[in-house]
Amino acid sequence: MDCYTANWNPLGDSAFYRKYELYSMDWDLKEELRDCLVAAAPYGGPIALLRNPWRKEKPASARPVLEIYSASGVPLASLLWKSGPVVSLGWSAEEELLCVQEDGVVLVYGLHGDFRRHFSMGNEVLQNRVLDARIFHTEFGSGVAILTGAHRFTLSANVGDLKLRRMPEVPGLQSAPSCWTALCQDRVAHILLAVGPDLYLLDHAACSAVTPPGLAPGVSSFLQMAVSFTYRHLALFTDTGYIWMGTASLKEKLCEFNCNIRAPPKQMVWCSRPRSKEKAVVVAWERRLMVVGDAPESIQFVLDEDSYLVPELDGVRVFSRSTHEFLHEVPVASEEIFKIASMAPGALLLEAQKEYEKESQKADEYLREIQELGQLPQAVQQCIEAAGHEHWPDMQKSLLRAASFGKCFLDRFPPDSFVRMCQDLRVLNAVRDYHIGIPLTYSQYKQLTIQVLLDRLVLRRLYPLAIQICEYLRLPEVQGVSRILAHWACYKVQQKDVSDEDVARAINQKLGDTPGVSYSDIAARAYGCGRTELAIKLLEYEPRSGEQVPLLLKMKRSKLALSKAIESGDTDLVFTVLLHLKNELNRGDFFMTLRNQPMALSLYRQFCKHQELETLKDLYNQDDNHQELGSFHIRASYAAEERIEGRVAALQTAADAFYKAKNEFAAKATEDQMRLLRLQRRLEDELGGRFLDLSLHDTVTTLILSGQNKRAEQLARDFRIPDKSFPTGSGG
Amino acid sequence: MAFPHRPDAPELPDFSMLKRLARDQLIYLLEQLPGKKDLFIEADLMSPLDRIANVSILKHEVDKLYKVEKKPAFSSSEQLCFLVRPRIKNMRYIASLVNADKVAGRTRKYKVIFSPQKFYACEMVLEEEGVYGDVSCDEWAFSLLPLDVDLLSMELPEFFRDYFLEGDQRWINTLAQALHLLSTLYGPFPNCYGIGRCAKMSYELWKRLEEEEDGETKGRRPEIGHIFLLDRDMDFVTALCSQVVYEGLVDDTFRIKCGSVDFGPEVTSSDKSLKVLLNAEDKVFNEIRNEHFSNVFGFLSQKARNLQAQYDRRRGMDIKQMKNFVSQELKGLKQEHRLLSLHIGACESIMKKKTKQDFQELIKTEHALLEGFNIRESTNYIEEHIDRQVSPIESLRLMCLLSITENGLIPKDYRSLKTQYLQSYGPEHLLTFSNLRRAGLLTEQAPGDTLTAVESKVSKLVTDKAAGKITDAFSSLAKRSNFRAISKKLNLIPRVDGEYDLKVPRDMAYVFSGAYVPLSCRIIEQVLERRGWQGLDEVVRLLNCSELAFTDMTKDDKASSESLRLILVVFLGGCTFSEISALRFLGREKGYRFIFLTTAVTNSARLMEAMSEVKA
Repeated sequence: MDCYTANWNPLGDSAFYRKYELYSMDWDLKEELRDCLVAAAPYGGPIALLRNPWRKEKPASARPVLEIYSASGVPLASLLWKSGPVVSLGWSAEEELLCVQEDGVVLVYGLHGDFRRHFSMGNEVLQNRVLDARIFHTEFGSGVAILTGAHRFTLSANVGDLKLRRMPEVPGLQSAPSCWTALCQDRVAHILLAVGPDLYLLDHAACSAVTPPGLAPGVSSFLQMAVSFTYRHLALFTDTGYIWMGTASLKEKLCEFNCNIRAPPKQMVWCSRPRSKEKAVVVAWERRLMVVGDAPESIQFVLDEDSYLVPELDGVRVFSRSTHEFLHEVPVASEEIFKIASMAPGALLLEAQKEYEKESQKADEYLREIQELGQLPQAVQQCIEAAGHEHWPDMQKSLLRAASFGKCFLDRFPPDSFVRMCQDLRVLNAVRDYHIGIPLTYSQYKQLTIQVLLDRLVLRRLYPLAIQICEYLRLPEVQGVSRILAHWACYKVQQKDVSDEDVARAINQKLGDTPGVSYSDIAARAYGCGRTELAIKLLEYEPRSGEQVPLLLKMKRSKLALSKAIESGDTDLVFTVLLHLKNELNRGDFFMTLRNQPMALSLYRQFCKHQELETLKDLYNQDDNHQELGSFHIRASYAAEERIEGRVAALQTAADAFYKAKNEFAAKATEDQMRLLRLQRRLEDELGGRFLDLSLHDTVTTLILSGQNKRAEQLARDFRIPDKSFPTGSGG
Repeated sequence: MAFPHRPDAPELPDFSMLKRLARDQLIYLLEQLPGKKDLFIEADLMSPLDRIANVSILKHEVDKLYKVEKKPAFSSSEQLCFLVRPRIKNMRYIASLVNADKVAGRTRKYKVIFSPQKFYACEMVLEEEGVYGDVSCDEWAFSLLPLDVDLLSMELPEFFRDYFLEGDQRWINTLAQALHLLSTLYGPFPNCYGIGRCAKMSYELWKRLEEEEDGETKGRRPEIGHIFLLDRDMDFVTALCSQVVYEGLVDDTFRIKCGSVDFGPEVTSSDKSLKVLLNAEDKVFNEIRNEHFSNVFGFLSQKARNLQAQYDRRRGMDIKQMKNFVSQELKGLKQEHRLLSLHIGACESIMKKKTKQDFQELIKTEHALLEGFNIRESTNYIEEHIDRQVSPIESLRLMCLLSITENGLIPKDYRSLKTQYLQSYGPEHLLTFSNLRRAGLLTEQAPGDTLTAVESKVSKLVTDKAAGKITDAFSSLAKRSNFRAISKKLNLIPRVDGEYDLKVPRDMAYVFSGAYVPLSCRIIEQVLERRGWQGLDEVVRLLNCSELAFTDMTKDDKASSESLRLILVVFLGGCTFSEISALRFLGREKGYRFIFLTTAVTNSARLMEAMSEVKA
């Protein structure tokens, strides 16, 4: 253990910083890092490199290459850059690469170099060109801030929901600011910029000059500024080699440091752990790395190579041509255990366990010591916690062994923290593996959550590992395995070189009836890739016919959609398809389709009866359904028509239809009714009173009651009322 | 006198939960539109709403209540809420209101709550009328109203016409949802039976719903052991007969609406009408509801005498006893007194009406039709009935009964009856006849059909199998009722040796004075007895349902013996009180309890009205 703390560097009295290697990089870089635009995503994300041929001093010779690597240097994608000059690269929270072009167009690429989409930052940016750009992360997503050639700022706080905001002008600004950054405070994005000795804060309404409290005098310009990962803190580097550290609100100073180097640093980033009192920034020059905090001395490292700093939640990653390192403040638990001559319970427990393995009685002594102070639970907890912060599995194991050893002497120690830590470490070690290349720390992992980590694995197409993790953690199928399988299937359908049958079969074999997998979603993806036939095949596996319909409609397979909708028994769905068909087909074809689907036909008829009477008539006409056509006109004769002539005409049409339908009875009855109507009209004219719309019987009865027996008898004869049913006027 | 249940009869599940669920959901939906609002309720929803929530509960959420009517409403509220059935005419009404506001330059909030569900066609109409963006839509999934301890109604009378006449299947989904709700609340049904196209579709849709949301009902103990789904068109005959059990007769005479009836002045013997709730809580009614009418009066007078005796006890009481009597018994007695006088009034009123119309003659004709003798005489009776213009609905009912029992009218009668009917009641009924023909209620014998008589004779001579083939060939011709053959097969007309004692009924035929066992109830009885359709192949074939009868039994050890004696009978297209009474009787005999779920309670008049075309 003597050398364990060898890479610990004290900063002041209370904090240690250590730097250890994550990976030795064997990427075969053709270019120097300093010649490239570099972007590395936080949370152990991928690294994008684009040789910058648009720099003035090096005129463009060939098209540059955009390369994407994992954090361990495994190449993920490489593509020839064919678009315009790029000013800045950055990764969004969803690990999409945003490439900001000089003309203000932002191109979005996936992790594997697949082009996703593009958007423009507006006309103003297009006209004045982009001078500089930053990609920053907010709680809404990822934002882009742009400094134009006219020294104006334009930003969008969320590229997922693009709303461009042009920031107000900085009065009297003649040249580009010496440095600037995007700040996120109270859910609003601001710009902080430095012009000579002045600092300005731009919000969407105004530009205000700000002064950091306690700034040393004599500053004539700011060379570099850095905001912490959480936008809480701000660091400023001045031309006097002086560093000011304070809150991002510029209300409070934390500390200051004078490094006496006047050369502008290449990069400056914050290096602090969440919930730690220690605040430090890491400043990088060409060959020098310096950790500066609230202490008179700084920690210095020599850089052998061109390096690049990536700020993380709890430290800084530093990568170069050959290595990838992590620099962070040693966490409290580790410090307590490993600090030289530490008497912390955790340290003693670790010692005790080692002695125990050596079969030495000292183990008992140490253990007794902890137990006498009643600190065994803390000791176990410390060991568990420290294990989480260790990168090397051997060290994790020995700490966990110590925790497990200590647990044996405790009656009631809840086991879940131990178990969970074991699980978490297994997952972390798996993803930190060189082949996977996601060097997450424990704190980052907890912040990111397992769901997001799984998403990122899926994004890297590491489906088997993702599924193994789900199974290992026993995640519910719907959130875990099924979701990943669905993603896998969506990827699978994009493999254009595999035949439709094979893809469909492969997907069905893997997915089977896994709960929570929607075949229609996968089919939708297949359709999105232009594979309609595959989509239809996949839909066959969808057990819920209702789910198949919307996609079938989208694919213009309306007739298939109609039969699926009918199968589902959901009349609303049938109706949706019907309206689609109605717009898509010409009337004749539409009616023909209906004719073959009686269920849909009756549904549509019901609708027409209330809403589109004319269509109903056309429907009957089309089918040569003279019977219904007759009925239709009969109904019209007393519902739609008011004038007697109209009614008789409607009845005549009805009678004709009935003849065509070979329904002589109905035809005769209708003709009788026409005669009766005319007669009633005459009776009304001649006798007064009300006759229209009386039934034949009632007409006769009314005539008898008004003493018109002759006419009554005539009527009965005309209409051949049988004698026995001839009304006598008394109703009996 | 009222038949007591066997001591081992199973307890009924508590259905009041359905009311609570519906009420809570409605209040939740109304709360979604915060602030003062006026509520417009469709008339058809008034009574069901009344049964689950009283006005004071609504008053919490609602300022003023209006009825959805044809005329425009003058509401001054800034927020209007409509509680309607998903009908196109309602959408037009709402659209016209919204558009009128637009013309007047008024902006208000509109919310439409569809019960029991929303249909796409409705939204379509709103869109076509240009108001879709102005209203917000919601669904109130109130599909099961417990009318009584053993009777659930969907209160969807239009189900019958929509499905059986227009072939519109949209309510099937609603029904499947309702069944799904029942199985989530009361556990899965281990044994399912059914017959009819609609029954089969509903069943399949319901099962699919269960599969999609699997896990919810799994592992629950079934509370109800059996479910039986039956299409109304399996048995039109029973629904077309005049009802003679008390509850059915009250329904035929006064129309029971949503479990309550309006007794007019002639019943209440005062000058105002009285709305009376008719259910198991009415002690007097509960004892007579299932009785043949001929017993009811005797029972009521006996009851009156008992009551008098109890009143009389107060003579000779000392003060303390009297105090007890007044504080404990008097209220109950008075209540009973009130109910008794109401039902006696109702009986009197029924008797008065029924004798006026020669009720005996009518019943005699019906029985003759059921038994199939003196057809000519019955036809003449119907003709006379039409000519005398007794009632358009009644005449129509008799014609249909004749047609179904005789497997269609002979062409000559078909024409002459229709002609006379049109002359007597008006020509618009030409459409009614077209409807009835489509539904298979009033048909003409096809030339081949005259063979039916021969066929039934043949079936006695040749083996069953050969007869089967012959009838198969015919049944493909048209939808036919085959009533006579079914009646013989299932023994629907009991052999009468002497007088049928209606006081001590032998079988379910008592609900029709011992003349006829309701076909629907007999099918249910037979299937339950046989645990399926085995041995009923011939009947199923005669019902034209060879592919539409199904059984689905799951081995479920969790079902208690008690639950296995609870049977939910689902009537698609409505059931009558006579059928309910008959099955209640069957339950008592066999130690079962039946629970009824119907799309609506129906009777012959409602069926005929659903088929009629009336002048607007």
